[in-house]
Amino acid sequence: MAVNTREATADRRAQFDFKDEIAYLTETKRGLSRETVAEISEIKREPDWMRDFRLRAYDHFVKRPMPTWTGGLDAIDFDRIIYYRKPSEREEKSWDDVPPQIKQTFERLGIPEAERKFLAGVGAQYDSEVVYHSVRQELASLGVVFMGTDQGLKEYPEIFKRHFATVVPPEDNKFAALNSAVWSGGSFVYVPAGVEVPLPLQAYFRINGENTGQFERTLIVVEPGAKVHYIEGCTAPIYATDSLHAAVVEVVALPHSKVRYTTIQNWSNDVYNLVTKRAHAHEGATVEWIDANTGSRKTVKFPSIYLRGRGSTADVISVAVAGKGQHQDTGAKAIHLAPDTRSRIVSKSVSKDGGRATYRGHLKVAPGATGVVASVRCDALMLDDESRSDTYPYIDIQEDDTTMTHEATVGKISADQIFYLMSRGLTENEAQNLVVQGFLEVFTKELPMEYAIEFNRLVKLEMDGALG
Amino acid sequence: MSDLLPPDFITQAGVHARAAAAGEPDWLVAERMDALQRFGELPLEVNPLFTLYVDLRAARLAQTVPYETVGETIDPQARVPDGVAALLEVREDAVAARSLSAETQAAGVVVDTFANVLRDRPQLIRDVVAGGESLPADDKLAQLARAASVVGVVVHVPAGVELAEPIVVRWAVGAGGRALVSRTVVSLGAGAHARLFEEQIGSGAANGSQALWSGTLEVALGEDATLDVAAEQDLPAHVVSFVNRRANLGRNATLRWALAHVGGLVSKSRIDNRLVGRGASVRQVEIGFGGSNQVFDLTSYTTHVGEDTTGDLLSKGVFQDRSRGFMKGMIEIDRSAHGTDSFLGEFGMLLDRKARSVTIPSLEIDQPDVRRAAHSSSVGPIDETQVFYLMTRGIPEDVARKEVVLGFLEPVVARIPLEGAQQRLRTRLDRKWSEARAAAPAGASGSGQASAPKSGSSSGEAAA
Repeated sequence: MAVNTREATADRRAQFDFKDEIAYLTETKRGLSRETVAEISEIKREPDWMRDFRLRAYDHFVKRPMPTWTGGLDAIDFDRIIYYRKPSEREEKSWDDVPPQIKQTFERLGIPEAERKFLAGVGAQYDSEVVYHSVRQELASLGVVFMGTDQGLKEYPEIFKRHFATVVPPEDNKFAALNSAVWSGGSFVYVPAGVEVPLPLQAYFRINGENTGQFERTLIVVEPGAKVHYIEGCTAPIYATDSLHAAVVEVVALPHSKVRYTTIQNWSNDVYNLVTKRAHAHEGATVEWIDANTGSRKTVKFPSIYLRGRGSTADVISVAVAGKGQHQDTGAKAIHLAPDTRSRIVSKSVSKDGGRATYRGHLKVAPGATGVVASVRCDALMLDDESRSDTYPYIDIQEDDTTMTHEATVGKISADQIFYLMSRGLTENEAQNLVVQGFLEVFTKELPMEYAIEFNRLVKLEMDGALG
Repeated sequence: MSDLLPPDFITQAGVHARAAAAGEPDWLVAERMDALQRFGELPLEVNPLFTLYVDLRAARLAQTVPYETVGETIDPQARVPDGVAALLEVREDAVAARSLSAETQAAGVVVDTFANVLRDRPQLIRDVVAGGESLPADDKLAQLARAASVVGVVVHVPAGVELAEPIVVRWAVGAGGRALVSRTVVSLGAGAHARLFEEQIGSGAANGSQALWSGTLEVALGEDATLDVAAEQDLPAHVVSFVNRRANLGRNATLRWALAHVGGLVSKSRIDNRLVGRGASVRQVEIGFGGSNQVFDLTSYTTHVGEDTTGDLLSKGVFQDRSRGFMKGMIEIDRSAHGTDSFLGEFGMLLDRKARSVTIPSLEIDQPDVRRAAHSSSVGPIDETQVFYLMTRGIPEDVARKEVVLGFLEPVVARIPLEGAQQRLRTRLDRKWSEARAAAPAGASGSGQASAPKSGSSSGEAAA
């Protein structure tokens, strides 16, 4: 049976796109120099150590060669990017104070009134600054801090300085260095010992403004025995020229804490999304990355977990959908540095319309990390023969009592599956959607319900634009 | 790499001299020059996936002197051994044996050196190697052999010929401070069937410093041809070896590899299976059994070009003491390769704390219309449930452990085509196990491990 994949999976996301004209209050001039870096620090009235840190990172960024193991990064023109923009003068405490134009955008993004009441806190990033945060009184009374990273630096200087850049140093890679030099915005989360945050903390991220780089920096510190779930979701309008998103996320999971970090990403098709996400899991701690990548021209992102303490656990579920002109170079890393640690990596990718999905992973068991149990599973679905799928796992085991298993498969939707579903009354299009949604279910089922609905909608949009 | 080999190891003048000594025609000299240039330009590893996982630090070849000529010390009275179709043995810098059974000779089979074949039938070599198609253009060490080989071996089985007995090619090296650089070219005509047994062993000579053996196996299989290759590398502990094996398979051709890497200090092996003809199929089983400070770097590429081709590759490594294994593999499915079935498995067993296993099984898929495209990999200790089972049958624990390990390797051993060689390999593996166990500190492995289980689940999922 011939399945007309091409027609069924046309990309019609543009019709759901939107952008608003925003007046920026302050912005640096295009391009990056030592002066620009110092200027950003000055505008933000940062302490000297942060300015020095930024400059050190800038020097490293300049020195560090562009990575060659993934292609296409040479197209980024660093001189065309505006590295800092400030859309409004101060952090807004209440929804009513948010400028109406920005508010309108959030409403179109779908942050309804009711949801705000329901959810623990909304940190919304609008370009380079966090403009809106509402943290419920209840959280504040628990001692939970959830605010913009710039604000965190000012209000919690000691906690901030103790943990900032300890997980991802600027020298880690070229884009971590770039972020360290020009970072702005992102979330700062601090959960005191023993506190379980009852509802997910959420941050909506959004890029706006042509050629605006977005360099948010998120730092999450979870004290012993505490528990938190952080969710970020991204949407971005489509622009004609390329836009760069180079974020750094650091998670410090102290002994016996539990952290889950969920990302649903839908960058517009011109964005280079180059993200360094890393967590340190201390003794008995559990860190989970639940990560979805759709959209963008190119995403390079390998959420990683360094298992530093005995008995810590890492769990990564990563899904990627690569459409026309897109390369999703994603995966995960689990670095076992301590005994009796466990990791599980599950990756699912879909490529179509000439898109390329790459799984790249690293599983390492260092000397001394005895009794490790680890598994890596990668499945790829290719919807047509224009597309491409790669799997590059690196598995380096240096302890003799490690138990490690890895499996990977690549395939297409079978004509039998489509035929069966169509015999039950589904159209070809619906049948394909259902199969893809089923394929990605390992991810979807980990999401809170409203996100699961949103994600399935996103996949449908990616697949056929036939929403509604 | 610049300091891996001495700077004058391979020079233009030296290459010309070797070619002249062998009376090589211009086209082959041009091949050497092309290779020499590539050798000079290429990094040791071009694949960015594997770049960080090439570890030849233990190789100390900076004083190594290559043999410049290879002579003959063939006993004219020597007959081909029983059960063998043909034998060619190169011992250090001399061809020590070359004999074909009467039937083999009558069938038109060629097993000879480049020098001899170039006199009468140069086309047998040219058809396979011309244009550098028979070796990977991006592999520095393959280009080393292509540029600097001092001896070549040709195996040719004409169309329609089916050999019941195996052809044996033996390399005996190990003289300290010396290097033997060689090539082996194998072609099978349409419908031919043959078995090839390739051995790398010690020559008995040694004077303390390291030695190098560098070789190739360049295989061209015609339509419906079937070739079984068994190879056993059991070089002395001071020998470094580099081998590139590459096969181009025609329509419905079948190639089966059984490869055992046991000896040597540093062994770097790369296999390229190119499934070009429709319905071509390759099956490969490979084992590495490391002890002391041995390093095995085993890379397998399978490239599916034609339709309905099949690849089934299995690499297994057992690493004791401080030995290290790098098992790297890639399945490439070209857009033209509809109906591919491809599997790559890389399984490691680590027996001591200082042992290390790296596995990188990769996929690059351009055509989703496949029957199967998958890989799998595992690393684990000895499966305690298997040991336990054997113990319940009355087998003592130390024997049970040995049997589990040797059983893990047996699928390759069982495919060595000569009974004597097969039994010899079994004995060798057995001895290697016993030596390493005797040398291992108490409690570091073996029965000591059973007393310190980390968790219940760490046994059930071990590599099998």
